[in-house]
Amino acid sequence: MSTQDGRFVRLLSIPAAAAERLSAYAVDDAVSYFDPDGLLVPGERSPRGHATVRNAASARPAIHPQLGRADDGIEHVRFGPDGRRSEAAGPPSPGAIDLLAVHSGDVLAALGERLASGERSTGADAATYLFVPELSIEADTTALSADLPHAADVAAIADELPEPVVVLAGGQPAGYHHVWRLAGRDAKASVEVAVVGLGGGGPDGGEDRLAGVACTARGAAAAETVPPDSFGLRALEGVGPAIADRLGSLGCRTRGDVRNTAVSELAALEGLGREGAERLHAHAEVIASGEPLVLTNETPVRTRSGRPPLCLDVETDGLSPTIIWQFGVYDPAADAYRAFTERSTPTDPAGVLGEFIEWLLGTHADRTLLTWNGSGFDYPQIERFLRRHYPEYVDAWRDLWTYDLYQWAVRDGNALLPGRTNRLDDVARALGYERAASGLSGAQTAAAYRRFMRRPTDPAAEPDWERHEAYCRDDCEALYRVYDAIETADRRDVTDSGAGGAAGRQSGLTEF
Amino acid sequence: MDDTRPPDGRTLVERFPRRGLTTDSGRVSTVTVPPREAATVPADGTLPPALAEPYPHELYTHQAAALSALSEGKNVCVSTSTASGKTHVYALRIARHLLESGVIAPDGSRTGDPSAGSTALCVYPMKALTKDQHEALEALYDALGLDVRVRVYDGDTPRASRREIRESADVVLTNFQALHVYLEHHDRWSRFYSAVDLIAIDESHTYTGVQGMHVAWILRRLRRVIEYWGGDPEYVLTSATIGNPAAHSAELLGEPVTVVDDDGSPRGPRDVVLWNPPPTEGPTDESVPDEPTTDPESASDSEEGVTDRVPASVEAPRVFGHLTARDVETLLFCPSRKLTELSVRRAAEHVRSEPHAYDAGTPPLEPYHAGLGKRTRHAREQAFKTGDVTGLATTSALELGIDIGSLEAAVLMGYPGQRQSFRQRIGRAGRGTERSLAVMIADHRTLDQYVVSNPEYLLETSVEDAVVDVSNDAVFARHLLCAADEIAIGTDDLDAFADADRLERAIEMWRRAGRLEGHPESAVHYVGPRRPQSRISVYGTDETEFRLELSDGVDRARWGLPEDVDLEPVGRNRAYRDYHEGAVRLHDGQQFEVVSVDETRRRPTIELAPVDVDYYTRTRSDVTVMDAESERHRTINGFELHFGRGTVLVHHHAYDRVSIDDSDPEEAAIPTGTPPISMDTQLCWVEVPEGIESALVRKYREYGVETGVDPDDPQPPHLGYVAGLHAAEHATIQTAPLELRVDKGDLGGLATLALDTHYAHRELEPLSETTDDSLAAAEHALRRRGRELDTTPSSGWFVYDGVEGGLGFARAIYDSFEALAERARDQLRDCECGRPNGCPACTFDENCGNDNRPLLRAAAIDTLDALLGERTPGSFDPERSASDSDSDSDSDSGDDRRPVVFYS
Repeated sequence: MSTQDGRFVRLLSIPAAAAERLSAYAVDDAVSYFDPDGLLVPGERSPRGHATVRNAASARPAIHPQLGRADDGIEHVRFGPDGRRSEAAGPPSPGAIDLLAVHSGDVLAALGERLASGERSTGADAATYLFVPELSIEADTTALSADLPHAADVAAIADELPEPVVVLAGGQPAGYHHVWRLAGRDAKASVEVAVVGLGGGGPDGGEDRLAGVACTARGAAAAETVPPDSFGLRALEGVGPAIADRLGSLGCRTRGDVRNTAVSELAALEGLGREGAERLHAHAEVIASGEPLVLTNETPVRTRSGRPPLCLDVETDGLSPTIIWQFGVYDPAADAYRAFTERSTPTDPAGVLGEFIEWLLGTHADRTLLTWNGSGFDYPQIERFLRRHYPEYVDAWRDLWTYDLYQWAVRDGNALLPGRTNRLDDVARALGYERAASGLSGAQTAAAYRRFMRRPTDPAAEPDWERHEAYCRDDCEALYRVYDAIETADRRDVTDSGAGGAAGRQSGLTEF
Repeated sequence: MDDTRPPDGRTLVERFPRRGLTTDSGRVSTVTVPPREAATVPADGTLPPALAEPYPHELYTHQAAALSALSEGKNVCVSTSTASGKTHVYALRIARHLLESGVIAPDGSRTGDPSAGSTALCVYPMKALTKDQHEALEALYDALGLDVRVRVYDGDTPRASRREIRESADVVLTNFQALHVYLEHHDRWSRFYSAVDLIAIDESHTYTGVQGMHVAWILRRLRRVIEYWGGDPEYVLTSATIGNPAAHSAELLGEPVTVVDDDGSPRGPRDVVLWNPPPTEGPTDESVPDEPTTDPESASDSEEGVTDRVPASVEAPRVFGHLTARDVETLLFCPSRKLTELSVRRAAEHVRSEPHAYDAGTPPLEPYHAGLGKRTRHAREQAFKTGDVTGLATTSALELGIDIGSLEAAVLMGYPGQRQSFRQRIGRAGRGTERSLAVMIADHRTLDQYVVSNPEYLLETSVEDAVVDVSNDAVFARHLLCAADEIAIGTDDLDAFADADRLERAIEMWRRAGRLEGHPESAVHYVGPRRPQSRISVYGTDETEFRLELSDGVDRARWGLPEDVDLEPVGRNRAYRDYHEGAVRLHDGQQFEVVSVDETRRRPTIELAPVDVDYYTRTRSDVTVMDAESERHRTINGFELHFGRGTVLVHHHAYDRVSIDDSDPEEAAIPTGTPPISMDTQLCWVEVPEGIESALVRKYREYGVETGVDPDDPQPPHLGYVAGLHAAEHATIQTAPLELRVDKGDLGGLATLALDTHYAHRELEPLSETTDDSLAAAEHALRRRGRELDTTPSSGWFVYDGVEGGLGFARAIYDSFEALAERARDQLRDCECGRPNGCPACTFDENCGNDNRPLLRAAAIDTLDALLGERTPGSFDPERSASDSDSDSDSDSGDDRRPVVFYS
């Protein structure tokens, strides 16, 4: 990946409905977490939501097109090659990424005309992004069809502009990504336009999410999504809207305020109690320090041989897998990594599974396996495939000692972690683990393998195996880092701790 | 006078105290059903010795035939009478599998061999039946000395025992709603599914309409999951007698099924008494607000004919009291829970009021319904079995096979709507081959009166067809999401789960909408919000279902309401029509008022509060049909019949409060505040040939107020004719349940003088795209289209499925139109109301959007006669020949184009 191609603008989307609910501090927190170049407020017109986001944006653009000032309903923001906002009125500088925000889909036709007439211009050597705040795609199930609203206007714009055009759809859930093939001006030719969701609940009435969208110069947009309650006081375990309000009445508006408040004062809050207050206080400290904290006397993993656990990660072709095509195992004891990858016959899930299980049982049966959320996905999927293809190994597999660090830390409440979400990626990053930049996500990995499954003999569809193995290895090593951090973390059982001192600060981590 | 037990029909009629009413042989008729001998074969001819020896009976011939067909590798539907041993067919087959696979040793003990495996899944329509069948299966296996693990697994199964059941049960009993949810975690069931040899679908005839569609797709999803785990089951369906067991079973399963319907079980002689209560002389204080269809003019009009009768809810308890006072063990079937309670009181009152007739005093009677709680129900079942209780007044809860021992007589409060259900209910009476008695007390409604006038209808060998339809794409598309979530969709699913083209279109739609990813050649995965199964409503065809809830703070004790008020969710059309704010609805005999409708929640909710008011509400609706496109058509005696699809726009815009006492509107046209609904759905429609139309327009051109319209309203020359079409439309919908297992509440109709304005026209824009779901805009557009078209308009009527995507009812009506038309015509002709515009027993439809006007019976009868080939245009109008009438048919209206008028 060249530097030129790797260039991107980072936009943070905060759906209007979420922005209305969030406190100013939570929005600030989100902005500092994502550190975006610009902010978008998709969804229905919301002066309040816009004001909250605009205040947090400081010098960055904060676009809620329905409240834009332009007479023609079009806002134009240009980001120079350095990612900084640049003058949109003049001719584009080389490598500029343009963001065109329209008041509504109805304005797209007029935008197309202005682009065609040269009234507006965009940088031809980097992608242009169209932000349509309320665009959503509904399925007409009776007709078995789904159409892109304003498809003809979008196609006309894409036809007109030489660079890739990407639509940022405010009403589609974050994570939505579909390349639409639209009829172009010339009836014979079609034009491809990627549509990317910005985190609105979508027509299914899903939940709004905040999305950090990396918009590249080549027109690829990948979103990292985070639930709105991951920010501000709500980021603290056990803090819902009611507790957040009560904390406000104590004068606690930030996590820093919580750290500076005595546990005894927090414990007096209705619905919190002593134990809750201690967890809350400790979690504020954990997020601030980036150091995990173990809350119980439990150990995350028992090992048989005194050697650390094998860190396992698998890759599949989707959430209802037809194949587990990669098994990655990192052995911290030997600092060795082993990958089992199906590179030739994607229709045969038995081959790679057999290699993996025979290797594992043959050489490492005495080791403990560790995963991140393995009991939610990896372990049952491995067992499911074993049942179908190697029923004779099912019992031996079940006899292995398997652990799920996510379950232990988060679900079972044994530890507080510094990430904003409990995704492995996020936790590892908060612990200071720098990932090798493979630029992949789990969904992209699965999609890449599905392309290979469709055309296994087409070299163009063949995944970059090394890159995928590197990604999987990275996950395994990140898991070990988290494990290691937990093993060496401060440890204390909040249930039998003493009281916080009179001077609030004493009730922090220093006490354990 | 002989004292046969139970009394035969004649004795019952003669001995029943009449209180001043004369014995009216015209009102009561008795049909005698002859006995049937048992036809059996020795068990060892069919069963292996390990089963034949301990089995305590011979096999009925139909059981043997079904078991043999299963041995030949066929799926079987056993469609025989109540209590004919259908359960034993699959129970014995399961036992055979368990023995042959080595799970059970020949001595009946478990082998403990871990490699042996054979399981079976039995699905029942309701939990109460599951429990009952659980006991029946355990009893049979005990009798056979087999240690079979039969377990119920449904929403009531404790969490703690679930895993053990999944991992060790031989036979799992459940229901479809539960199965639909459990399919997501099929890997937990891998042992069970990989070994499954038999799937039993009990009471399969109950799966029709909306629920039938969902069951058909759940079964298709189940099959994918079982194939995935390597199971290869045979299917056994047990069904009451229906008209089309083979077609219905095949549609449900998606594979062919062998039907076994030659009933070898014995039956004693049975008298079926059809009892029409006496006419009322006017409004009575006895009338019960259960079926508030009394006509406003019934009191004054009764000189002419019978426009109303004593309600079945009053008459049936008297017969129930009469029989039980004579110590005849009797079930009274009531349409609601409340009526079971009321009936017990009324029966006792009747007995007390006739001390001379009943010297033994009031009999021990109890109500029975699902709202009573398990313990009470069980106690009453036992008391009835032991004879401590002589009579149970029950809802349909006892219609299906719950064991309450044997009884002698069944009384039906009103016709249950289907012959199948009728037979099921009367079939509950009768001990082995002993004599039994069944009495049906008719209500003053179309179906009841049809049955009373045509007793032979009940004895015809053919029964209603069960309608199930998998062509609804909206339902298919939602189950596809579940299927993809369960196991990724691949090329194996093309033409297996659904037709390849249909499947690919649906996948592409969901890919675009962001709910699926990938292509069948690799794998299609579900990527939407978690648990798509939870987003399907089995009560509707789209995702929107309205929950019905009791309002906060309702004093249940004061109203005698049980903890769980059994309120099934409703789809959008029914919600808007029947549950707008201010609507008063009856549930189990209790009035409820809708106090709020909240559509902003993810699951829209309707809040109800019990009330006691002297009115009911009637909704007024505007309906129109647009862009109807014919997919199939055929000619019946010059009438063109079509099946197709189109857009139905319905606006339930206002409602009336109508007095229960005299049916007078107390307050009219109160706005509902609900928006119009647009549905793309399935339609059936009929075009009347021009010659018939013009003859009938002339014949009825003088008709005006007779059709029920106000004297001040305009009375154009077409009025009489179009009132006939409107009445024919109502009658075909009202009598549809005589031929088909359809729910009238899901059907609607529209009679029109200008069918072509409602059609799709290739060169013209679809009207539904320009009208923005506004009725006014649609009517305007239809009139404009009427002016634009140069086609010759024809008249006729539409029948549509009132749910998004349709549910196959209109298509079933298309397929059986002649039979339906004949039933409708007979009922219109034979009704005794003597009124030109008819009555609730012939032309009226409680869901009529136009307040049941204009209607004209005679014109409807003529139209249907012509359709049935029994009349020609000339016969309506002897003065003129058919060819004359063709040439000047349009000049009658004095206009180039007839008016675009239509009535729903």
